[in-house]
Amino acid sequence: MSAAATLPVVGALNSTERNVLIGLAVFFGLLFVSMLAGVIQPRYLFFLLSLAGMYVLLTMGLNVQWGYAGLINFSVAAFWGIGAYCAALVTASNSPLGLELHPVFGLVAAVVVSALVAVLIGIPTLRLREDYLAIATLGLAEVVRLLILNEEQWTNGSAGVSGIPRLFEGLPFDSVIRNFYVVLGLIVVVYLFLRRVHQSPWGRVLRTIRADEDLAEALGKDTYAFKMQAFVLGSVIMAAAGVFYVHLNLYLGPDDLEPIQTFYVWIAVILGGTGSNRGAMIGGLTVVAILEGTRFLNTAVIPAGVDVAPLRLLFVGLLIILVIRYREEGLLPPQHELVAGGVADEKGGGPDE
Amino acid sequence: MSERLEMQIDGADLDKDDPVLEVSGLKKSFGGLVATDDASLQVERATITGMIGPNGAGKSTLFNLISGFYEADEGSVTVNGTEVTGKEPHEIAREGLVRTFQTPRKLEGMTVREAMMVGPQHQTGESVLPLWLSPSSVAEEERRNLERAEELLELFEIDHLATEMATEVSGGQLKLIEMARAILSEPDVLLLDEPVAGVNPTLAKNLAGFIRELNEERDLTFLIIEHDMGFIMELADPIIVLDQGRVLMEADPETVRNDQRVIDAYLGGAE
Ligand SMILES: Nc1ncnc2c1ncn2[C@@H]1O[C@H](COP(=O)(O)OP(=O)(O)O)[C@@H](O)[C@H]1O
Ligand SMILES: [Mg+2]
Repeated sequence: MSAAATLPVVGALNSTERNVLIGLAVFFGLLFVSMLAGVIQPRYLFFLLSLAGMYVLLTMGLNVQWGYAGLINFSVAAFWGIGAYCAALVTASNSPLGLELHPVFGLVAAVVVSALVAVLIGIPTLRLREDYLAIATLGLAEVVRLLILNEEQWTNGSAGVSGIPRLFEGLPFDSVIRNFYVVLGLIVVVYLFLRRVHQSPWGRVLRTIRADEDLAEALGKDTYAFKMQAFVLGSVIMAAAGVFYVHLNLYLGPDDLEPIQTFYVWIAVILGGTGSNRGAMIGGLTVVAILEGTRFLNTAVIPAGVDVAPLRLLFVGLLIILVIRYREEGLLPPQHELVAGGVADEKGGGPDE
Repeated sequence: MSERLEMQIDGADLDKDDPVLEVSGLKKSFGGLVATDDASLQVERATITGMIGPNGAGKSTLFNLISGFYEADEGSVTVNGTEVTGKEPHEIAREGLVRTFQTPRKLEGMTVREAMMVGPQHQTGESVLPLWLSPSSVAEEERRNLERAEELLELFEIDHLATEMATEVSGGQLKLIEMARAILSEPDVLLLDEPVAGVNPTLAKNLAGFIRELNEERDLTFLIIEHDMGFIMELADPIIVLDQGRVLMEADPETVRNDQRVIDAYLGGAE
């Protein structure tokens, strides 16, 4: 008899969930031991966890677009950057705008601007075949980066923005702890929000659109409106991740909008399980663990002189191959019928894995 | 008949005797190929109207034009007295015209009953706000829709598939699911594109029974493309014959069966 039989909570999980949970426990256990052993500074650990939280948010955002609705967005980094720059420029002391407002206003600006940009990109592309959005977002990523680089009078250009305030300055905890709780809170709020809207007729229509847009149209669903909603919602979540990042990192430059970031977030969604909110969280966490873990391996395990960091992409590539080979659907693929209010569960049945 | 239609009939110039679907002078070419050539037809309310014609006659194209998936070069389409020419497919569906596809659509990642529940139109929970403001009324509606979905699955004798993945069922079963889902959307006129192609004979016979039942009990209008002559000749009246994009004739099955032009069209198509 395994421990599962004695723990009712664990017993209610299926084998995939159990494995993921065990994996998480081992992972966080190792982190904790490393911290106790002095391999990782506690402050740095919390910084990393906050960074991981930010990736989880980004992954959840892309999952709304690609996982729910099948929208191909190649400008995750740009929407993240729009959010980050909005927050930085509205709040920072050396911002050319000179506003130095409270971070709340940065968040509001980020939400409004990212939603607006998403709508403007969506209007000409979402009525067309899906590849048009992909192409347009490829372009957007570059346009946003170049605008930030060249419009120095608004953005400080390549010098970047510094003097960004920390979050919740008044509270007695250390800032790294505060950041950690802030991102944790954001994740919980976004997750709970997404869970309800996804497991609903709304999410069901998006799932239909993803599978077959013509069919959704034939049944009277305004697919353009649904796709627009998913695109805007996902983009706003990405922007919120950017807002959090600037208050974590306290500096922001155009180099932060590397296109490779978009790629990492895509990997995270696919790895976690396309269309699954929980999968998005696991995927985001795993990708950060690999990206930052390589840095950590450098100092901890590998003898001096060998640099592991350049091998990051190799590790990520290896991971993709393993997932495609052994778990095509990702670590935690979606398991729920999209029926609101637990109505389907009352009736029982449904796919159990 | 749907509530919406009854309301329209009560309040407006719409008459129960008016055709539910009117097509006039539709034209569509693909490059040099004229797929639909000045097609005009009317589908009377509460009929089961058949549409036949040799392969490539333009039947599916005509469905695509009527339901808004193709844009017509010329001509007009009227549903329930409202002109819908140039409207988007979902707008036409909301006017009461719902169609199925010749190749059944697979719904990846959905169970059969979940795929069924996409059918009902204007669901409260399809907007984000009510999910937060009135979750209980959304849940109530979901319960109702799930019940209706399961009733229809039962009627079609595929209720044992309710919790199967929609991608795992056979092509014939998929055709049944597609039709059942279209019925859940409560159309006034339902366009079926070869509903029994790939469906085994027993199932096909049942399907004819369901169609007749729905037609008699709910006054649902059907326009059905079908290759299976036995099936359509027994079920439908009148029958519209299409050939080379044109409406060749419209008559009762007996007349169609004996018409020399129809025989020629089919022989010509077979060569
Ligand atoms: N999207 C399209 N592009 C080009 N040609 C098409 C298209 N759709 C249909 N056709 C052509 O129009 C003609 C009629 O096709 P279709 O309507 O599918 O016939 P049916 O359903 O009567 O067998 C065929 O010659 C077909 O090749
Ligand atoms: Mg056809």
